Amino acid sequence: MNRDEARQILLLYRPGTNDADDPEVAAALALAKDDPELSRWLAEHNARQTALREKLRQIPVLAGLKEQIVSEQAAKSKAASRRGAMVSLVAVAAIVISLLALAHFYLAGGSSNGQMANTLDNYKSQMTAASQAGYSMNLVSSDSGKIQAYLAGARAPSDYALPAGMQKTAMAGCAVETWQNSKATMICFRSGKPLPHDQYGDLWLFVVDRTAVKDVTDMSSPQFAKVNGLMTAAWTQGDKLYLLSIQGDENDLKNYL
Amino acid sequence: MAQSVDFENLVSSHYGTLYQFALSLTRDEAEACDLTQETFCIWAAKGHQLRDVTKVKTWLFTTLHREFLGSRRRQTRFPHVELEHASAELPAVSPATIYQLDSEQLLEAIGQLDETYRAAIMLFYLQDYSYNEIAEILGIPLGTVKSRLTRGLEKLHHLLTNIQTPPPS
Repeated sequence: MNRDEARQILLLYRPGTNDADDPEVAAALALAKDDPELSRWLAEHNARQTALREKLRQIPVLAGLKEQIVSEQAAKSKAASRRGAMVSLVAVAAIVISLLALAHFYLAGGSSNGQMANTLDNYKSQMTAASQAGYSMNLVSSDSGKIQAYLAGARAPSDYALPAGMQKTAMAGCAVETWQNSKATMICFRSGKPLPHDQYGDLWLFVVDRTAVKDVTDMSSPQFAKVNGLMTAAWTQGDKLYLLSIQGDENDLKNYL
Repeated sequence: MAQSVDFENLVSSHYGTLYQFALSLTRDEAEACDLTQETFCIWAAKGHQLRDVTKVKTWLFTTLHREFLGSRRRQTRFPHVELEHASAELPAVSPATIYQLDSEQLLEAIGQLDETYRAAIMLFYLQDYSYNEIAEILGIPLGTVKSRLTRGLEKLHHLLTNIQTPPPS
């Protein structure tokens, strides 16, 4: 083996691995010991290999990914094991939700035609209740492009503008809700905190055309309020009304605005 | 045997490197996330079929790569051909230059490599896989692995020499 052949072999040599167990590599390394020029080349090559290896391993991993994988899988397993009891569970859930909706209707004061009065307070109440009442996602995905495409196809608001704090937050999916006779978009996010097995996310953004809620005024700054146990922020931007809700307090919410 | 592997521990041990591998293949965070998650979903459904528990990591990388190829199948085909040997003289990119790069610059350079080289190089550096293991994961002959690594490294070094790094402070 000459110097050039040894260099060719050592191009793929990684210090600190089992590569030296290969007889061909071992022979090339032995040659480098006795050849100062090859030895200098190898020292620099090794340093380069080590630097590349370390740098590649420093590529940041998206926050919350592990929790997302584990909770998603746990939810699937749970769903599978409960499939047998699903029919009765759905029936019970439907009754509970109906009762809650009925109770809410009387407490909030219904309009004469039997529909909830078209006010911002009622909108907040209905949307936050939807995120708490065991909703199902229309689309489970962390891909914002897919979510936007789905919403556009469903003719729900899809040209929304995410606040700066939300743009790096992992999405979990979306659903289309109905408010009065309009469609409202619900996007579910994951803050990265551990979630119960049956929960998709812990942060919900609702978007609706602002004309769909009658008493909405210009709200360029978010208005905070506690609704149905969730902290909410509501604001308007362009022709949209935004409602962000979180399981937490006002400071938690401000991190995402 | 493999069903005795605890799912959460398995995710903790491998999700980071699987994501980095997926990101190098897709060059898209959301797609890399979905690919990583899909890999663990497939493990949850089919992992019990794996008899040798020591092969879990290789199985995960193989599955992720297969899923990636599946998603790209309509777009391109990967020719399994032997490439000619590259020159033994790599462009002289210094280790100090590499250390000055940030992750985005490095990913950008990796992303400019042909997909044929990208997977082999990432497995080579991320996990210190042997050539045989890389061949098994990518489903290509051993000689092709070596050719792809040699040629891919040459191209990567060329790309790195052209990156402007900030002067050391």
